[in-house]
Amino acid sequence: MPHVVKSTILDAPTDAVWNVLRDFNGHDHWHPAVATSTIERAQAADKIGCVRRFKLKDGSELREQLLALSDLEQTFSYCLLDTPMPMFNYVAHVRLLPVTDGDRTFWQWESRFTTRPEDRDGLTQMVAEQIYQAGFEAIRHHLKEAA
Amino acid sequence: MARVYVSTVVNARNDRVWARVRDFNGLPNWHPAIAESRIEGGEPADKIGCVRDFRLRNGDRIREKLLGLSDYDMFCTYSILESPMGVENYVATLRLTPVTDGDQTFLEWTAEFDCAPERETELVGNIGGGVFQGGFDALKRAFGG
Repeated sequence: MPHVVKSTILDAPTDAVWNVLRDFNGHDHWHPAVATSTIERAQAADKIGCVRRFKLKDGSELREQLLALSDLEQTFSYCLLDTPMPMFNYVAHVRLLPVTDGDRTFWQWESRFTTRPEDRDGLTQMVAEQIYQAGFEAIRHHLKEAA
Repeated sequence: MARVYVSTVVNARNDRVWARVRDFNGLPNWHPAIAESRIEGGEPADKIGCVRDFRLRNGDRIREKLLGLSDYDMFCTYSILESPMGVENYVATLRLTPVTDGDQTFLEWTAEFDCAPERETELVGNIGGGVFQGGFDALKRAFGG
């Protein structure tokens, strides 16, 4: 089972980063791969179990469900329900931890999923670089613009 | 119960930083406040339950017991058996987590303990800002940032 783990340091306090990341319906505001985002059935974006529907820049759609969200721990988890890619059992976790030395943020984004053997390396690389690492860079840029 | 949480980033891969801090008898090799250390009973320093008896540069003596050590998760947990600090039920953990972006290491050093209420602020400051951050600063210097 592929296990992707990516992490970075952001030069902003965890509260500022969490303020952006905790909005399960807000990834279209910052992630370069996401064109639009809506929550199904008009539910609140911090209601556990809510489903977001992404339209990606390439036109494909995917649905993801919020599994856990903690303002105390500054973590959230979600899974993929529908995707055009051959990815199954995808569960991802995001967590923020304070870097007290300099009032910065440690951000970790990780997931496990199953797939066909021939797609394993390509999908692992795609998740790590185009979703997670690109997300890091986008948030870095987003925070700079907001400041 | 008082809590201390201090964290930093060191500009080196986590396996290199871990090699430096995993030795439970190695504090004098990297922490500027520690003058000398020995493991009681001639036990190996990575035997869970071993006791280190070390002396600070200010002359204080502290005995600490190794409660947990993981090369896989890169953490070390220990308790204080004897110290002049006036703390009870002191348990601390030093944990390393990789920062994949730039091959750095995220270090967290936490402690929980009981003490007289009027001394809590002073002790949290000394342990977090003094002992833990002092160790981090030395590691950052050793690894160039």
